[in-house]
Amino acid sequence: MKDLKHLIYFENLLQEANNELVKQGKADGKRAIGYTCYFMPEVLLDLPGCFSVRLRAPGCTSPDIATYYLSGRVCHYARSLLERALEGGYNFLDAQMGTETCTATCRFQEHIQQKHLDSVEDMRIIDNDDFFCTFTDIPFKNSENSYQHFETQLRAHVLEPLNEHFGIDISDEALLKAIEEHNEVCRLINEIGEYRKLDNPTITGYEFHVIQLVSLVCPKYLILPYLRETAEEMKTREPNMKKEFRCKVVLAGSENDDPDFTKLVEGCGALVVCDRFCYGAVESRVPIVLEEGKSPLRCIAEHYLKTSNCPRFMPQDEMRARKKRLADLAKEYHADGIIVASNKFCEYWSYERVIDTFILKRDYGIPVCSIEKEYINSASGQLRTRFQAFVESIEIKQIQEGN
Amino acid sequence: MKKLKKFLLKFCLIFVLLNVGIFVIFFFDLDGKLLFNVVEPFLKKHYDNMERKDTLAEAYDLDKFPKYKYD
Amino acid sequence: MAKKNLTKAVRDFWYGKPHTAEEGGRRLGELYEDKTGLLKHREWRGVKDTFYYMYNIWGYNYVHMVLDILKYSNNPIDFFKGTWRYRWMGQTYLPVIHWFERGLQGLRGEALYASAWHYRAMVSASIKQICTFFNADTRLHGGKQNDAYRHTIYCNETTCGTLFYPWKDAGYQYVSMEMIPYFVTCHVNSHTVLNYIDAVQSIGLPGDPCPMCQAEAGIFVLDDVPDSSPFIITCNEACDASVSTHTLQDWFANKPLFALPLPMQFDDPLVHKYCMNEIEECWKFIEEQTGTPFDWECMKKYLERQNKLQRDEWEKWEVASKTDYYPITGVAQALFRIYSTQYGVQTECWDEASEKVKKIMYKCVEKKINPFPQTRHRVIAWSCAPLYYSNWCTWAYNCWGLNVIINMDSLMFDMEIRTDSYENMLEDMATYHMWAPMRRMAVGGMHHIFELWDYMKRFNCDMVAMYDQLQCKGMQGVHGLFEDEFRKRNINAFWMPHALPDCRTVSRAEIRRQINDYMTTVMHEEPLDPSLLDFDDSMTW
Repeated sequence: MKDLKHLIYFENLLQEANNELVKQGKADGKRAIGYTCYFMPEVLLDLPGCFSVRLRAPGCTSPDIATYYLSGRVCHYARSLLERALEGGYNFLDAQMGTETCTATCRFQEHIQQKHLDSVEDMRIIDNDDFFCTFTDIPFKNSENSYQHFETQLRAHVLEPLNEHFGIDISDEALLKAIEEHNEVCRLINEIGEYRKLDNPTITGYEFHVIQLVSLVCPKYLILPYLRETAEEMKTREPNMKKEFRCKVVLAGSENDDPDFTKLVEGCGALVVCDRFCYGAVESRVPIVLEEGKSPLRCIAEHYLKTSNCPRFMPQDEMRARKKRLADLAKEYHADGIIVASNKFCEYWSYERVIDTFILKRDYGIPVCSIEKEYINSASGQLRTRFQAFVESIEIKQIQEGN
Repeated sequence: MKKLKKFLLKFCLIFVLLNVGIFVIFFFDLDGKLLFNVVEPFLKKHYDNMERKDTLAEAYDLDKFPKYKYD
Repeated sequence: MAKKNLTKAVRDFWYGKPHTAEEGGRRLGELYEDKTGLLKHREWRGVKDTFYYMYNIWGYNYVHMVLDILKYSNNPIDFFKGTWRYRWMGQTYLPVIHWFERGLQGLRGEALYASAWHYRAMVSASIKQICTFFNADTRLHGGKQNDAYRHTIYCNETTCGTLFYPWKDAGYQYVSMEMIPYFVTCHVNSHTVLNYIDAVQSIGLPGDPCPMCQAEAGIFVLDDVPDSSPFIITCNEACDASVSTHTLQDWFANKPLFALPLPMQFDDPLVHKYCMNEIEECWKFIEEQTGTPFDWECMKKYLERQNKLQRDEWEKWEVASKTDYYPITGVAQALFRIYSTQYGVQTECWDEASEKVKKIMYKCVEKKINPFPQTRHRVIAWSCAPLYYSNWCTWAYNCWGLNVIINMDSLMFDMEIRTDSYENMLEDMATYHMWAPMRRMAVGGMHHIFELWDYMKRFNCDMVAMYDQLQCKGMQGVHGLFEDEFRKRNINAFWMPHALPDCRTVSRAEIRRQINDYMTTVMHEEPLDPSLLDFDDSMTW
């Protein structure tokens, strides 16, 4: 396949959090608002006057000082974020919209938050006088009570602070504008993602992962022209004559903002056609639908709870339906198997991975490769062996089934 | 009277012997030693060899239970 | 010289040997058999205390364990069937008296008498829970769902018992699915739980999530949870792993399950309404499942009893914080509090024990009896404790004179619930639930976990025993900040690494070594009883 025009540019944007477009956004007088979790609606942080940056810590392989603070026994992602913050890598942030959705990232955000307590000293990690961090309480259910609660929380802990600190317009009109822009991003990403459903996809999982990530970490208004151009380019992109993959897989699991991981999987012959992990596109690029009689904020609150497949959802029906949704994705994207990857020390996904491994195989007949990984995968040799074995097992299964 | 005396003597003797016996068990932790060295290994063996249900074979139905929502 | 020796021998016989090495002390470490932790012989505590211990603690509790079974069991045969069926039951129930021994070792006088009552209440309440399990368990009744089954409510360990008070008088018992099979077993016999941890890891769970949650899932993997209730209620206390454990529990239990999530940011006044609604939804679920309506009067009645128990505890804390006359050892204080709040006021035993302890405590106050006369440091224990070595407090007092006055877990649920109106009750219930164990301090921001300094002051403590649960992500996440603050505030604090129920990760000997090192190298102190410094109890219960 011909190289995508902007791929190298996109890759460069992912080299650091304070990338070229973030700098440009700041230079345009906009406020940079950080977040870590899907449950913090990025659309609210993309209101006119500010832009969202989903935090990453690319290239952080030895978070030494963060390990002193968080210990070596919590998720590498959270430690890497804290290390990057301690290095000054997030000083461009004007605010962090915190969520207590998983313990480790919560602790990272609490470290950068100015606590104003006598009992523990503020570390002032983010060297920016304007910086503040608030926490939003995120429900664990899809229910009317949860929607109402989430809406109240988002107003009190996201919208109002943005307005108070930075004068951001939080009117319904402003929200509608942000939704419109957000949906435009979703439409483009989905349009690009549709090519992954082809028998011989015209985009690799790695390329898609890069594109999805830049849409999360750059100001939307600045990345949109590139996305439009890429979507246009995709319309005429020809696939390779010979399939360069041996099987197709869905990549599911916990936090993953490392396209090299996808590259590693694909290097073993498994084309990643769908990404259902934190930072993936399956949920985050579902357009927000406005419903009559409901305020834009209410629609946003409902949208983020209804679209999430996060294992922190507790109701029985939700827990069980998650497995089916994953199986449906495999079907929709014509995948031959599912790789479930959880970050080491991620408790949610450690459990979810166990149950996915059994149920998807037993009840849906989908081969599953279950692995544990680090945030930055330096030990790729072992993983490569696992993936190669998985690909071979799928091929054997296909031979046995006569395909 | 003699009978009563004899009975009381016997009673006291039994009482004392019983208490001495209990004291020996108590003081030398004989109950602990019995449980640790005999009872627990026996029970462990029993539990280790017990036939157990294959829990992984348990059904995982999607529609078995309704959505418990009370909005 | 011979006369002096004879006098000492007579005094030692009458009063028991003195505590410290200087006084020719009792050398408790020499009583242990190597590795097993069994006693070559029990300690001679003097005539009065030895026989008090023998009759009023050892004998009394053996007899009452049997009486409790007869009292709470619908059919005592079920109890034996249950013992034969469940590993956690057979392996754990038998060494209960040894659990007393470990917690009460070396104690004399009022400390011995009062602490034993806390243990007694815990055992009695646990037997009631066990009987609730077995009375209803379909596995022990040929698969039959009897009346007890239909009147038992299952909840997960950290769901508050208070929720179920409204159904109490209609004959409903609630029982936590994991409290007895997992939590209690760790205290009594730490061997049992290892089977459950291994079981869940054998199906692919990594070894790093919280081992408590691993064990809670493991009992389901091994099919070792009685089938005693038609439905289950779970909640999201206290951590990510806790929430995730329910995915496995739901699969293996395969029963109607209601999830009761509580807000994480509980200091935010805006979360209250949400939490209250969730509690009400839970009540609707119970009504639906049981067909029995919520009973406000019943709720009120049991909450008032619970409030009384809370006031009792405050009374005890008041004495503990302001005087040296508090007669409860650290482990008995902590466990009593955890057990009583988790089981709730389902039995009278808490009230009875509390009354007895208060009586002894006020005697100490009136007669100025210091039950822990060798106290060198008043210690506050922070974070979550090693379950397999909960009696470290007793060892620490005997060896170093470290007297654990209060534990972090005891400070949860630190409130009364108003019963003057439904609305007030519901509001307080929401707060109460959000302040549950390992929740009030560990989630909802850093404010609460660093309340340590306030509690140190309140309980007049000069040292911190900082539990370092290696697999608790929340507590590991504040490790460095605590180090910084300890240094800045010049506070004497030692870290105690452990893995909650799993004694294989950090052994008891290693925990003792850490404390010994701190006491010698940092505090430059000499042990009161050097025989306790190093001994091998690797195979002990």
